[in-house]
Amino acid sequence: MSADRRPEPNPFARRGPSRRGVLGLAALTGAGLLAGCARERPSSGLTAGGGGSGSPTLTAASPSSPVRWPILEGNAPIAAGLAPEKDATLQLYNYVDYINPDVIKSFEKKYEDTGVKVVVSTFNDTNESLAKIRAGGSPYDVYFPSYDQIGKLATAGLVRPLQHAYIPNITNVWPQFTDPWYDQGWQYTVPYVTYTTGIGWRSDRVNEDIGARANPYDVFWDPQYAGRLAVLDDYREVISMAILRAGGTDINTGDDAVLGKVREDLAAMAKATRPQVTITDYIAIPEGKLDISQAWSGDMIAAQGYLPKGTDASVLRYWFPADGKGMVNNDLMMILSGGKNPVLAHLFLNHLLDDEVARENFTFVGYQPPLNSLDPSRLVADGYAPQGLAAATVLPSYFESGYRSLELTPEAEGKWQDTWTRFKAGA
Amino acid sequence: MSGTAPRDRRRGLLGVALTLPGAAWLAVFFLVPLYVVVSISTGTVDPVFRSVVPAWNPADWRGDQFGYVLSRLTGPDGFFGPVMVRTVVYVLLAVAGCLVVAYPVAWFVARHSGRRRGLVLALIVAPFWISYMMRMLAWVNLLADDGLVNRLLGGAGLVADPVTFLSGRPTTVVLGLVYGYVPYMILPMYAALDRISPALLEAARDLGAGRFETFRRVVLPMSVPGVLAGLVLVALPMTGDYFTNDLLSASPSTAMLGNLINTSVANPSQAGQAGALVLILVLAMAAPMLLYVRSSVRSDLAS
Repeated sequence: MSADRRPEPNPFARRGPSRRGVLGLAALTGAGLLAGCARERPSSGLTAGGGGSGSPTLTAASPSSPVRWPILEGNAPIAAGLAPEKDATLQLYNYVDYINPDVIKSFEKKYEDTGVKVVVSTFNDTNESLAKIRAGGSPYDVYFPSYDQIGKLATAGLVRPLQHAYIPNITNVWPQFTDPWYDQGWQYTVPYVTYTTGIGWRSDRVNEDIGARANPYDVFWDPQYAGRLAVLDDYREVISMAILRAGGTDINTGDDAVLGKVREDLAAMAKATRPQVTITDYIAIPEGKLDISQAWSGDMIAAQGYLPKGTDASVLRYWFPADGKGMVNNDLMMILSGGKNPVLAHLFLNHLLDDEVARENFTFVGYQPPLNSLDPSRLVADGYAPQGLAAATVLPSYFESGYRSLELTPEAEGKWQDTWTRFKAGA
Repeated sequence: MSGTAPRDRRRGLLGVALTLPGAAWLAVFFLVPLYVVVSISTGTVDPVFRSVVPAWNPADWRGDQFGYVLSRLTGPDGFFGPVMVRTVVYVLLAVAGCLVVAYPVAWFVARHSGRRRGLVLALIVAPFWISYMMRMLAWVNLLADDGLVNRLLGGAGLVADPVTFLSGRPTTVVLGLVYGYVPYMILPMYAALDRISPALLEAARDLGAGRFETFRRVVLPMSVPGVLAGLVLVALPMTGDYFTNDLLSASPSTAMLGNLINTSVANPSQAGQAGALVLILVLAMAAPMLLYVRSSVRSDLAS
C-alpha cells in the first residue's frame, strides 16, 4: 500500500472552497446595520426571576446557581403523539457550515411521506440572529444558539418548551446535558455540540511545541511570531484568554482591576505581534496563510478538510490545557415559538440526537457531539482526528474542570465591550 | 406676451415632474436612513436584550452617546483619538498616492490616447465590473507569503524571506486604498483636462511659454476643478472604508474609523455609539463636500 494514501477515506476530505468564509465576508457589508434597523418587539414590562418593580431584569444561570426558566402562559409544549405537518418547509437557523447537508437529506428521506423540505438560513453571530428572531417575520423552526441566550429567549417567550415524548434519543447524550444548569429539566434545549478554546497551528510552519511552553498563551505576545498569528474575533474568547494567561480563573468578572490589566496586556499584544482578529482560522491555518491562531477545537478538526492537496493532516496541532482548566462550551438546539412546524421540529431534534446521524454531522462540522457512544479516548484511533489534534477531543470532565462563559451582568458587559472596542481600535 | 406665460408654467411643471424621482430617491434612501441613524444614536439600550431602542420622537433624543464618543476622542480615556489620527494620515497618504497616479494617466487619456481613447477609458472603468471585495480578495492572494508577488521578489533575488505584506502593515493598507479608489480620481480629472482647448495651449506656446510654463500657468490652473472633484470623490469614501483594512490587514494596529464603526455596530448595545460616530463623520465630511459643490457650481457658471 502506498504511503501517501490513507487506508480509509478521511472523513474530513477536502471540501473545496469554503462557503463559510465567502459568505461571512459578504455579510460584513450590512448585516449589522440591518440588525440595528430591524423593528424589535419592545421588551419593557418583561420580568424574569428577581425582577423588581417594573424594571426588567434577567437571571443569569451558572453551574453554582442552576436555573429553571419560567414557561409563559400560552407557550405550553405541544401535545404528544401529533402527526407531523404535511408538505411543510422546516426552517433551520444556524451558523454557516455548521450542519452537514447529508443529515438534512436523510431527515427529508426519513419523513418523505410528509413531503417535508428543509431550508437553512444562516447568521454570523448570535447578536444578529437574536435581533432577527425578535423582529419576527421569519418563521424559523429550529435555532442553534449558545446557552447564554436562553434567558432572553425564554423570558420573551420566543422559544417553545419541548415535549419530551418526541425526543427519546436524548438518552444518547452525556447525562449532564439532560438536566443542565442553564436549563434545568431541559425544558427548552437539547445539546448540539461541544468545544474547547485553545491554540491551533501547523507543525511544519512553527518550529516549537507551543503546548510545551510554561504558559502556552504567551505565544500571542512573542515577537518572533509578529504578523503570523491571529486571535478569534470574539470578545469573550480573547478577553478570557488574557485573564487566564495572567493567572485568573474568573472569566465572567466585572472587576476593574482585572479588566484594566487585560487592557494593558491586549495593548501589549497588539504592539508585540500585530495579531489578526478573525474567525477564518479553520481555513487559514491549514492553507498556511496563518501560522498560529487562537482556535475552537471543532474548527481545528474541521481544518483537515481544508488542507492543500498533498499536505498530510498530521501537521495540524491543537493545544488545550491537559488538566482541562481552559475555556469549554457547548451549543444547543431550540425550537422557536415563531415556527410553523413544531412537530417536525421536535422530530428534527430527535433525528440529530440519533447516534449515526450525530456522528455523520460530526465528520462535516468538526464539532464533537456529546454522545455516550462516542468514546472520546478513541477519537484518534477511530480516525476522526490525527494524533496532533488529540487535544481537540472534548472530555465530559472538562465541563467540571473548565471555565464557562456565562451571561455577564449589564455593568460587566459594558466594561467587556469597552475593553474590546479599545483593543480593536488599536489604541 | 400672453402666449408665453402658460408655456413657462408648463415648463415649470415639467421641471417639478423631472425632479420628483430624484427627490423621492433622496427622501427614501438618504433622509429616512439618516433619521434612523439619528434615532439610534439618540436612543436608549434595552435592559434585557441590551440592544438599542431607537428614539423615534425627537423629544426623546438623548445626547449620551455623543458625550461618550466625545469623551473617548480626547482625555485620559481617549482611545478613539489615535484611530482618528491614523485614519487622517492614511487617507492623506492614499489621496496623495491617487493624485500622483491619476494625473499623468488622465493627461495621457485626454491628450495622447488618440483613436484608442474609448478603449483606454473602458480599461480604466473595467475594474468596476468586478466587486470591490473580489478585487481586494485577489490582492490577498497576490500578496500572501506564497503569493505571486513574493514568488517574483524571491525569484529575482530581491528578498531572502517572503515579505509578510498582510501582517498588519500600514503600507499595505494605504496602497490598497490607492488601488481601490484611483479610478474615481482619474475620471473627473480626465473630464477637466479634456475640456482644456488645445488652442489655449498653442496660444501659450506662441506667446513664448515653454512646456513647463504652459503646464504651470495654463494647464494646472484650468485642471483645478477636476483635481478638487477627484480629491473629494476619493477622500470621502476612504475615510469611512473598513473593508480594505479588514481584508489586507485584519489587525487592530491598522484600524481606521470605519473599522471602529463596524466593531460598534456588531455589538447591539453599542449601535448608538456607532450611530454617533457616523454622524460625527458625516458632519466632518460635510465641509469639504460643500466646498466641492460650491467650486463646481462656480466653474459651471464660469464656462
